[in-house]
Amino acid sequence: MAAKAFGIVTSTPRRVNVYGLQDYRPAGAFTFIGKFRVIDFPVSNFSNSGIKNIQVYLNKHPKALTDHLGTGRNYNLNSKRDRLQLFYCNHHMENEVYNTDVSDYLDNLAHIEELPQEYVIIAPCYMIYKQDFSDLLNEHILSGADITMLYHKVNNAKDHFLNCRVMGVDQDQVVTSLEINRGNRQSQCVFMDTYIMKKSLFIDLVQRTAKYSSTYSLSQMLGVLIKREELEIRGVQHKGFFASVDDLQSYYESNLSMLDPKNQRDLFQDGWWIYTRTTDTNPSRIYESAEVKDSMIANGCHIEGHVEHSIIGRAVTIGKGAVVKNSIILDHAKIGDGVMLDAQIVDKYARITKTKELLNTPDQLGYVHRADNL
Amino acid sequence: MKQGNMLAMILAGGRGSRLHELTDKVAKPAVYYGGKYRIVDFPLSNCANSGINIVGVLTQYESVLLNSYVAAGSRWGLDSADAGVFVLTPREKADSGLDVYRGTADAISQNIDFIDQYNPEYLLILSGDHIYKMNYDKMLSAHIEQGANATIAVRPVPIKEASRFGIMNTNEAGDIVEFEEKPAHPKSNLASMGIYIFNWKDLRKLLISDMKDPDSDHDFGKNIIPTMLADNKKLIAYRFEGYWKDVGTIDSLWEANMDLLDKKNELDLSDPTWRIYSEDASSLPAYIGPEATIDRVYLTQGTTVEGYVKNSVLSTLSTVKAGAKVIDTVLMPYAKVEEGAVVTRAIVASGVKIGKGAVVGSADSENIILVSKNVKGVD
Repeated sequence: MAAKAFGIVTSTPRRVNVYGLQDYRPAGAFTFIGKFRVIDFPVSNFSNSGIKNIQVYLNKHPKALTDHLGTGRNYNLNSKRDRLQLFYCNHHMENEVYNTDVSDYLDNLAHIEELPQEYVIIAPCYMIYKQDFSDLLNEHILSGADITMLYHKVNNAKDHFLNCRVMGVDQDQVVTSLEINRGNRQSQCVFMDTYIMKKSLFIDLVQRTAKYSSTYSLSQMLGVLIKREELEIRGVQHKGFFASVDDLQSYYESNLSMLDPKNQRDLFQDGWWIYTRTTDTNPSRIYESAEVKDSMIANGCHIEGHVEHSIIGRAVTIGKGAVVKNSIILDHAKIGDGVMLDAQIVDKYARITKTKELLNTPDQLGYVHRADNL
Repeated sequence: MKQGNMLAMILAGGRGSRLHELTDKVAKPAVYYGGKYRIVDFPLSNCANSGINIVGVLTQYESVLLNSYVAAGSRWGLDSADAGVFVLTPREKADSGLDVYRGTADAISQNIDFIDQYNPEYLLILSGDHIYKMNYDKMLSAHIEQGANATIAVRPVPIKEASRFGIMNTNEAGDIVEFEEKPAHPKSNLASMGIYIFNWKDLRKLLISDMKDPDSDHDFGKNIIPTMLADNKKLIAYRFEGYWKDVGTIDSLWEANMDLLDKKNELDLSDPTWRIYSEDASSLPAYIGPEATIDRVYLTQGTTVEGYVKNSVLSTLSTVKAGAKVIDTVLMPYAKVEEGAVVTRAIVASGVKIGKGAVVGSADSENIILVSKNVKGVD
């Protein structure tokens, strides 16, 4: 079954804008809970579903992801039949509006056409969830629909998921609308940018979209087609943990939500491993002066201070008397003795030793740039 | 053999019976250490970091797990086209029956055909059950510079304890003049580490004649080295000063784990230029719950702590539930301490569960307790 489809992991869409972090890397390369990258979720979902031909599209800052994904060997994509392809797409610096997924696909159309699989499953690089795609593909084929779209029901859409699209779904699971979330209702079906169709339809849609508008993304075009009721488009509801990492706030909240054991159990299930590039980092050392509560600690850390309700990345040092609360500290950062942090996102290799206080609140976050010295 | 002209053979056949149930099902080199490692990761990583590409691992006792573990050479980066980790178990050959390895030297003799395939200039012999970081390339440089026929790594031990070791007596130049196995009255404090470099062509000849000698124990220490000394060959001692542990007993395995808690521990596993490679679990990072207390702990990814942990090493995917106490203890991978249980001065073997409210070990026990079976809870 699984071999009937290949997978696409999209490049970072225009509407994703994570302050600071995105200056250095695309959304898929954001560190998640100190150990994973966001793109590990779609790629692991594909691999675990037996979908082992995967195309990953990259636009800005490709290095972070080419390094991370490599040949796919860490994702159990290492037999001769498996293939992880990385496509670097022309980034239109002169005018951001041209940067669409459709232009990515047009650049590489020959590589899509040559794949033998009948179906394509598209998943975004910036959303975090667990999904068995082979189940979804079965459901799609049985339903006879042209396109199956995955959505998640939320009750906080007035002030969350504002960079996402929301869809209307009727009792028969037919998709009736698809538009940007304008924050006018709490209860919404958020489109997970995940959909299945035949490869032939996909290629046809890519070409039609380009003719319709050079600035349209595939999901914008889907909105048009849904209005016209031209195709049979079905929605399938996703259950379980779901996060969209599309701004600094959602990056922060999705990370800290993993401190809830219920979410941990939901996203990380035995037998459905989330793979990542391994680094062979040694275990972490927590010294006698340290106090650590309600936190996640990656490997290689030296912790002598107080850590509470925080995520600590690999090889982070937290000095004596330092207090880190409600924060995310990324790999190799150093928090000096006596430094107090609240509600901060500290990017990789930053050193905070001279500045003794950075105190924000979870709804007004602070951000420290990569490799900055404070 | 493009990159180096030295091939390494790791002797990993020993059972390590003083580790009791820990080695019932696996050989000593496969025993867990330091949260995420197995002991054999140390010599293998040392080889990889020293630029040695071809490594033979000689296994015998309970070798299924060890064989499959070391065969995946990719863990240590030893899987490129001109590199490899090869598992060498005793095998039946056309001109001889199936023989177990009769001694350390015999294990090499039985694999002369394997070594000849690579035609190395030098052969490095290692033990699979020691914890240390060492650059074998530097040792080879000393061997070549001094024109030695064999080089033996030694480390100074307290003279009082020297009678427990194989002792190398050297002259002023550092040449070995005498080898004494566990001498009653040691003349030197330089103990052999069981690490040898030989010129392969010379050793090959010696091994072939040793194989035919019915009186030989086929052992490097007892037979090969004394023969070379008797032949007036140049044997030199290569001094090693860093951290080195032979974790032969439960107490010494526990101590070696506790060494990692010291801020200035000599082994320093965080050195980015000399990583110890192992398998990384696809698990969450370590999770410390809101009611947890951790005080002087070495912990790795996948551990979950909701209770109290002090002076302890927590291995991959081990769990300490709410209200439980773990003190001066090593939890091996997948070990689980349930609510309200108390574990003190113990090694809890991999996968073992300590039931709710159970009490294991005590603060004033003379020896460390090995818990290798599930302990029932107390309701």
